[in-house]
Amino acid sequence: MTPSPAPERSGARTTLQKLLSRFHFGVTLLAVALSGITILLAGITTLRGYADRNMELAAQVAAYGVEPALVFNDPQAAREGLQPLTRIPGIARLRVLDDKGRLLTEWVSPHGDAMPMLTGFFFPRPFATTVQRNGSVIGTIEVWGDSSTLTHYVRLGLLAGLACLLVTAIGTVILARRFEYELVKPLGEIATVAHDVRLHRRFDKRVQGLGIAELDRLGGDINALLDELQGWQGHMESEKALLAHRASHDPLTALPNRAAFDEALAARLAAGAARFALLFIDADNFKAVNDGFGHAAGDAVLVALSQRIKALLHPGDFAARIGGDEFVMIFDPAGHDAQPDSLAERLRAAIADPITLPGGDSYRLSVSIGVAVHPADGTDPTALLTAADAAMYADKLGKLSK
Amino acid sequence: MLIPLFLIGSSMTAPQLAMQAAAQTVVDDSPGGMALAVNRMLGGIVTYATWPNEAPGAPRTMCVIGTPRLTERPAPDLPGRGSVSVRRVSAAAAIGGAGCHMLYLGQMPAVDRQRLIGWVRGKAVLTVTDDDSNCNLGAMFCLNAQGQRLSFSVNLDSIGRGTVRVDPRVLKIGSDGGPR
Repeated sequence: MTPSPAPERSGARTTLQKLLSRFHFGVTLLAVALSGITILLAGITTLRGYADRNMELAAQVAAYGVEPALVFNDPQAAREGLQPLTRIPGIARLRVLDDKGRLLTEWVSPHGDAMPMLTGFFFPRPFATTVQRNGSVIGTIEVWGDSSTLTHYVRLGLLAGLACLLVTAIGTVILARRFEYELVKPLGEIATVAHDVRLHRRFDKRVQGLGIAELDRLGGDINALLDELQGWQGHMESEKALLAHRASHDPLTALPNRAAFDEALAARLAAGAARFALLFIDADNFKAVNDGFGHAAGDAVLVALSQRIKALLHPGDFAARIGGDEFVMIFDPAGHDAQPDSLAERLRAAIADPITLPGGDSYRLSVSIGVAVHPADGTDPTALLTAADAAMYADKLGKLSK
Repeated sequence: MLIPLFLIGSSMTAPQLAMQAAAQTVVDDSPGGMALAVNRMLGGIVTYATWPNEAPGAPRTMCVIGTPRLTERPAPDLPGRGSVSVRRVSAAAAIGGAGCHMLYLGQMPAVDRQRLIGWVRGKAVLTVTDDDSNCNLGAMFCLNAQGQRLSFSVNLDSIGRGTVRVDPRVLKIGSDGGPR
């Protein structure tokens, strides 16, 4: 259950903002393009209509102006009759033909045609009108259109379209930002909580209330999941503590066991403790208790012994059962205002009180105690323990030899 | 309708140009070419003239007085409908009431010409001459041939004194231009 590093996601990922931005841009681009093309086409059609009407009017004006010139067969007068039309935009060329189709006069715009193809597309044929006098045809006027107005409009339309695209792009970015704020931010909050829980085991974290209904529901579900996880986590922690206690304590006397003692001694040495005493306590002739009164009595004696040891402990002291009838204590002499040897005597006296056995009998237990002092008797756990053990044996042997 | 206004404006502001030869047409280099050109020009003048109290396109009468110089028998050639009958009359007969809509003044004694010009004043009668290249003897329209070119000029003062209305576009053709 240790947090593993985030697994590398395969493939290129895109952010929600980019996705939204792209989507917005696509939709807006479609709308702008559609409306732009529609307006452009409608505009071209309308302008085309105006251009036709313009040419028709020009032809009628020309017919009126050049009518006497045609009657008198006068090219100069025909030119003068066309003169007013040469100042009207949208006309590329004018021709006046007499009743036999002969050219009387012609005028061509000096501006030339920038886009002959477009002109050919919009005005494939000249607009022709006949000139009549007294009911008979006396000539024909031909008017060629000029596409400059239309090309100007198309150019303007395309420029406006480009401007619209620019505005669209900017608008899309702003919209996407807004969307990010509205949508991505709550998602980000959920993601932050999930990340925190996964990486830092912060099971107390919760998703706050969110403005979007669907996301709020998701947040609620995640919170419920976190509640469960937190419950499991707490249960697991207590289980673990229990297991740890069991591993380091003796079930009978509830004192720390040999392993816990080794750890505590090593820790105390590693912490650089200046002076402390190690007491090795061994019950004398314990086998006789077991043999004489039974194992239950033996257990009762061990429990009583452990309780009397515990009663002498001060904060900072430590006691453990390291074998069947073997106990150790670590004393901080500063906390007791006493020498290690007097402490051992105090302990011996406390243990010497009679112990009531399960059967109702009373038993007086004696113990052998060995003392080792750090750093005088050793500076590492083995040396200290060996010294204390040796002192204990010396004590035991001394009693036997009496 | 800017063009008629423009034409009227120009004809009003430049009456001194009235005497100058203006409109001209190229005459076919064939026998009778000049007669055709003259008749066509006369027809054109008739179609652009409006007589008061008479329907447009009604038959007109042209009285030929004196000896025409450009063609022996002038006969207006009208585009489209309408017709003009030609009558040869003396100056006295014309004044006496020959029903002329239009007088073609050929070569004649100056006295007769002056009498006719004076008589026409204020009446619905057009006057055309082919014997006044400067167009300053009082006729309304003056035909003039130079080589293979036939032209006409108008005398705006004379037209102003009569009651026949002439299309301003024709006045412009006949009065504008100067030397070509």
